[in-house]
Order: sequence, then structure tokens, then C-alpha cells
Amino acid sequence: MTGTQPPSDAAPGPATAQARLAALDQRLGDPWDSGNPLGFTAVLEADERAEMFADGESALDAYGLNAEFVPVAHGGRLTRVDHLVEIMRTVYRRDPCLGLGYGFSSFISSVNVWTAADPDQQRQVAAILLRGGKIAAAYHELAHGNDMARTDFQALPSGAGRLLLNGRKEVVTNIQRSDAMVMFARTDARQGSRSHSQVLVEKDRVADGKMSYLPRFASAGMRGVQLGGVEFRDCPLPEHRVLGNLGQGLETMLKSFQITRTTLVGMFTGALDTGLRTTLRHVHDRRLYGRTAAELPQVRSTLAGVFLDLLMSEVFATVSTRALHLVPAETGIYAQAVKYFVSKTLIDAMNRLSGVLGAHFYIRDPHSTNAIFQKMLRDIQPAGFGHIARSVCQMSLLQQLPLLARRSWQPGVPAPDDLFRLDADLPPMPFDRLAVSAGGRERLSSSLAAGLQALSADDPAHREVRRLAEGFVTDLAALAEECSRLPVTELAVDASSHSYDLTARYTTILVAAACYETWRHNQHHPDPFWRDPTWLIAVLHRLSAPAGAVRAPLPEHIERHLFAELTERHEAGQGFGINKNGLPAG
Amino acid sequence: MSTSAVENQADGRSTEDLRAWLTQCVALHVQLTPEQIKPDVPLTDYGLDSIYALTVASEIEDHLGIDLDPTVMWNHPTIDDLVGFLTEPEQTA
Repeated sequence: MTGTQPPSDAAPGPATAQARLAALDQRLGDPWDSGNPLGFTAVLEADERAEMFADGESALDAYGLNAEFVPVAHGGRLTRVDHLVEIMRTVYRRDPCLGLGYGFSSFISSVNVWTAADPDQQRQVAAILLRGGKIAAAYHELAHGNDMARTDFQALPSGAGRLLLNGRKEVVTNIQRSDAMVMFARTDARQGSRSHSQVLVEKDRVADGKMSYLPRFASAGMRGVQLGGVEFRDCPLPEHRVLGNLGQGLETMLKSFQITRTTLVGMFTGALDTGLRTTLRHVHDRRLYGRTAAELPQVRSTLAGVFLDLLMSEVFATVSTRALHLVPAETGIYAQAVKYFVSKTLIDAMNRLSGVLGAHFYIRDPHSTNAIFQKMLRDIQPAGFGHIARSVCQMSLLQQLPLLARRSWQPGVPAPDDLFRLDADLPPMPFDRLAVSAGGRERLSSSLAAGLQALSADDPAHREVRRLAEGFVTDLAALAEECSRLPVTELAVDASSHSYDLTARYTTILVAAACYETWRHNQHHPDPFWRDPTWLIAVLHRLSAPAGAVRAPLPEHIERHLFAELTERHEAGQGFGINKNGLPAG
Repeated sequence: MSTSAVENQADGRSTEDLRAWLTQCVALHVQLTPEQIKPDVPLTDYGLDSIYALTVASEIEDHLGIDLDPTVMWNHPTIDDLVGFLTEPEQTA
């Protein structure tokens, strides 16, 4: 399906994000109901055929998911990207193939347009999306991977205001069934950082015989997603199809992909939510040694730990997503840190759950109760390499450490309070204020030390928070000292493992700061779970283990507290993340 | 009296000092000797990648005490171009 029919009820209305989220959830129905045509059995059957889930796509057409990717100014529903993330988590909980292959790939391409294109191009792209069309983000070439400055695909000026498209793009989502493509192309034959541009190619304007498709690429996970390729031969394109100015491509990409790199990883928590729910259902049904598996302390410990990983991933992703609205000049750092930290946390957590499920995680029969787990385990893997590789983000963070140490890690001005207040409204996404580089300036890490002043000396729980949190404040000072002396040779790709580990320490401090400040600024939260410091103590405890070390178990009373919350949410059919009841009213 | 960033430095740092400092800075990053860096060859040819060039721009800011667009090295890809830009009268500190 190319989705060119107008979705039946997609017109952007006044509905709040909360109402839209509820409507989407209701439309998709109970995933575990084997009679639900949009349930897991149908999802798995499509996956077995390596097809996109057609009924799921029809449901998303009817909901008008594409309108969520289009800013309100262009006729869509997008104002807050944190709302978009929560809506997409609902899709990822059902089927990550739908999340990526129905729509998010169109968002990846369109953020380039909202960031850099002229008003006419923005109107055209909005029109394609709002009528249910797809726009592929044609960046990838097998020979260069994430090294975009080496891109070979050409759109070289050929005189008379024309470019000539030549070359291939490979392993690109929806390239064949899309209506248009945003293509990352070399527009100057010379090497350099001003030699590339994005061009908007509408397929119905491509001359016959100038474009052909490559065979589909099969994949281990996300089997339904249609990964394809395209080849152009001397295809003329008017120069006004360039987004922004010629040579602006790398700059546009580095700015706009801060949005998609932050939000995409944040959506993948939906896959872990389903993995955790599947495991919980299993351990409550499974009887071992005269009791259910859910009563075994080791099982409870693993499940509580995974719940905690999901919570802290969502808190860090939420703060980083809110940062896109509030402190866009800093988000070059946070986008990389989220990718680096959250993707590994989610994948590790899924692996631990597979240990609890034992042989049951291996079953693929679409009618088996647990079969959705193996799909989620495969489908969550692109969190670590899709859109950009986790290792590339680590490398990029490493290069910035001395600058960060010099410019940001001294006690300084903390980040604004609204970054952490979950009920504080956000201004519309300021696409024009994203910066190509944060220049080593961020305020999240140093917010931790400033925020600790709010703790009471009389409350034992507060004293425990302080004890644990001060470890990260001390480590930031040690990191500043060490990183300011890092030789240049330790900032390159062949740096030592020790230097790479410095990035792990730094991102851990960012996560600790995000969680502490989120707790501190939400003492008026309607849910006592968020006001109580126990979850925070658990997070700080968990983050305190050095990278690679075997983590000490959480104190028993904390584990009990987390498991009780997890059980309550499970029984009530609530989400396991930061918004257990969907989005707050507003 | 020039108002360029370079001439404005209190210690009277000259254009040649700036050229030598920039060359040394880039040479360190790409693990070559300063003598191997030719002033009219794009620095990407020596392996200075686009992302790293953004970080080097911040180092130039701190060295000269001025604010620069992070893409300054993208827009002025050789040592000659960069020195020329940084010593323009408009580049006031």
C-alpha cells in the first residue's frame, strides 16, 4: 500500500495529546486477545511472512498517524515531541515494525524539511504526509555506513539550474513504496564538509528509465520492514529541490537528527514494556516447586531490575526530549548520550528477561502466548545501531570530553527547572534553534550538585539519596580533572579502552542527574510513587556500579517496593514507564 | 589599528603565530608533524573529520577568546583560508 488515499478521520482536530493517545490505544485494542485482528497473533503472523502488518497499517491510516509528524503550522498535530514519543510507544509496544516501517521513517526524513527547507517544500512534504503518503530517508550506502561525509551518491550541478542524480542508496526503509525521498547526496565533487546536500525527490516527477530499485534486504529483526535500495542514472532534478542551500546537508543532518536520535531510542522502550509484560504473564502462570515462578526471589529480583531499567531509561529519554524544546543548543550532547545509554540498557534488560522465560522465549509459533517476546527481542536490536550506531555516538562523545570538562563541568548555572517538571508545558519545537554542535556546553551534569542542596538532613531517605548522589558529583570532578588532561591521541578512533570508558562514566552522571532532578522537581506529582524517593535510591544504587562490574543486588526493601509497583501496574493493565496512565491531562 | 581578533590579542600575537598555532593544533589532531600540513590543502585531506572539526573550532574560540560559528572550519577548509578569515578586520574579539 502506498497510502495515497486520504485517511478517513485523520483531520487534525482540537484533541489533546492525551485524548489522541487514548484513541489510538482503543483503536488497537487488547493485544493479547487472540480474536483481535490487531492483536499479537496477527502481528506475529505478518512477521513470519516478513510482511508489514497490513491491518495494523490500515488502523494507523485511519488514526492518521502521519499527522503526528507534521508541525501544527503545516496542518499537522506536532507541537511537542515528548507527546509524539508517547504516542509512538503505543505503536512500538504492539509492533516495532509498524513503529519504524509505517511512519517513523517518514519523520526521520521530514525533520530535515522542517529544519532547513523553504516554505514551498515544507508545504509539499506536509501535503504528502497528511494524505497518508510515505517519505523515505535515503541516507545509507553500504560502503560508508555512518560516515556521511564520504557519501558517494551524486546530485552534481550540471548547468541550467539542474542537478544530475547518479548512484545508489542501500538498506533504506520504505524506499520502494514511498511517494518521495529525502536523499543525502554529494553536490560537490571535492572532499569536505560543504560538499553534500539533501534533495527532495518526488517519484512522480522522475523521468522514465532513470531510476530502478534494488532487491529487498532481508533482516534478522524488524522482518516486516521493507528495506530496499535505489539506483539513479543521469536523472535530472531541478536545483530548487535542494533543501536549504547547496552544501548545507551535513549541517542540516546534524541539527535535525538530534530530534530523531533522541526520540527514536525513547520509543523503543515500548518493546521492553511488552517484553516485561510477556514475562510477567508467564511467571504468574508458570508453577515450579509448588508455587508460581513469580514467587521465586531470583525471578522477582530480575523483574524489579528490568522495571527499574525501563523507568530510568524513560526518565533520561524524557529529560533529553524536553531539552529539544527548552535548551536546543545543548541537545547535540544529550542525543548522543541517550543513544549510547538507553539502547544498551534496553537490550541488556531484554536479554535478562529471556533468561527468566527460559526455553519459552525461543518459541515462534504465532499462536503461542509468549511468542511475541522473541519478536521484540529481535526487533529491539536496531535501538543500538539504527539511524546511527551506538559506537559512533560514543566516539563523538569521547572527542568532546576535554571541551566539556573545560566549559561545563565546573560548578555552574543549572539547567532550567521546566526541563524536569513533567507537568510543565513546553514551547513548540524550535527547529530553527538547533545547533550543529553544543560546543562542549551542557548544564544537566552540573545540575546534580546544585540540586542536592534541596535535601533534608533529617530524613533518612534523603540522607541515603545524598550519600549515593554525592558519588556522582565526586566522579564528575574526577572526570573533569582527567579529561582536561586527555592527550589528543586519546580522542581518536584508536583511543584506549580506558578513554572510551570515560564516556560511560560521563553518561552515567547525566542519567543520575536527570533522575535526581526529575524526582526533586515532581514532589507535587499526583502519583505517590514518583514523590517517594525509593525509585530514585534504586536508580542511584544501580548506576553506582562501575561499568562492566557485576551489579550488587538492590536492598531487599527497595526491590520489594519496585516489585509491588510493577505488580500493581501489571494487574491494572497500566504502562511500566514514566506515564503509567498515558499522558497527563492538558 | 586593526580590529581583527588576532591583532586585538593583548600579547600582540601575529598572524604568523596564529598560523603556527593552528597548524600545530591540526597536526596534533591528525597525528602528523606541522611540517607535513600544507597551508593550501583542505584539512579533510589529512583526515580531519567533519565532526572533529567542530570541536577544533571550539579550541580556536578558547585560544583567541572569541565566538565563532562551529562550522568555521567547514567554511574555511585550509590553514590559509582559516587564517585569512580569522584575521579579517570584521572578526572582532
